[in-house]
Amino acid sequence: MKLKYFSELKRSMEYLAKQRKTLFIGQAVEYPGTAMYNTISAISKSKKLELPVAEEMQMGITLGMALNGLIPISIYPRWNFLLLAVNQLINHIDKINDISDGEFDPRIIIRTAVGSKRPLNPQSQHLGDFTKFFKESCKNINVQKLTKSEDIFRTYKDALNSKNKINLIVEVADFYNEK
Amino acid sequence: MKYTPEKLIQFENNVCKLFNKKKIRAPIHLYNGNEKEIIKVFKKVKKNDWIFCSWRSHYQCLLKGVPQKILLKKILNGKSIALTFKKYKIFSSAIVGGNIPVALGTAISLKRKKSKSKVFCFIGDMTSESGIAHESIKYAINYNLPIQFIIEDNDLSVCTDTLKTWKMKKLTFSNKKTKFIYYYKYKNKYPHAGSGKRIQF
Repeated sequence: MKLKYFSELKRSMEYLAKQRKTLFIGQAVEYPGTAMYNTISAISKSKKLELPVAEEMQMGITLGMALNGLIPISIYPRWNFLLLAVNQLINHIDKINDISDGEFDPRIIIRTAVGSKRPLNPQSQHLGDFTKFFKESCKNINVQKLTKSEDIFRTYKDALNSKNKINLIVEVADFYNEK
Repeated sequence: MKYTPEKLIQFENNVCKLFNKKKIRAPIHLYNGNEKEIIKVFKKVKKNDWIFCSWRSHYQCLLKGVPQKILLKKILNGKSIALTFKKYKIFSSAIVGGNIPVALGTAISLKRKKSKSKVFCFIGDMTSESGIAHESIKYAINYNLPIQFIIEDNDLSVCTDTLKTWKMKKLTFSNKKTKFIYYYKYKNKYPHAGSGKRIQF
């Protein structure tokens, strides 16, 4: 059986990496250690910036880079880890258009995932899915969950080109090995 | 426009008057007592440099070149708390410490683009002791990023005594004047927010 979910993610990341302004940032972008790393392992080191574990700092850096014209792809391997960055996400990234009266219009891609339960169940602190909460809480962030393999490439391509410039894309880690 | 301490004070006094006349239906955070220091900081700031501020940012906007008329219009529209101007490369935030990692991200991008521009990030004394400040300052120094953090110490966070609540005799970055940190102390005649006069809106 061909696992399309993973291969579509890999194809999407390689497409994003070809764009001049993009940069992959986060923990485990240059070093292995997460399932998401495997989707970007073939991408050149020059397109990656490994960051310390400092989730809020990472989300702030994401916005700061985007204000100056880069397109960060900011990676949080699990929803539960992204929760530590909510201040920057809701108070700044979601509000930048409002506080600048539309002058700043950065393009940002945030990747996160619902943690995998199989083959090992990491228990409740690693399995959260807050998609609904963030859809309701963010006015200017396009929050999308990838449940179908065939939607993956188009979703990431749109995140780079469409009018919705700030995208939070939620993957389902169990599908990496199952779909 | 070249600003003297007197011209800066005049601007804030005018905003204060407008607030007292109920012309501004939003919080204002006024500066006072730091004019000489902030003018000194801005002698190093060039047109293409970036400025990151907190909720108190009228002086930075003026010194970076935002015309008084445009600034006043924003303030009258209730936007004083997070004044942000793309053209003048100014970002302000009403969230404690919120501007710091954003400033860091801009500094990283300037370095990656091999730009000669620099980032100046203004923070208060309580903010300078926050976790996000310590993480970001450590990262900036270790990676030799083009950023300077200006710590403006008025001893207070709203009305709370910073040193007393942290049980410290001095701030971590007290009196530092380095490539990355510029500390100064001042006393503000205005309260944290408002004009110091009770206004019934």
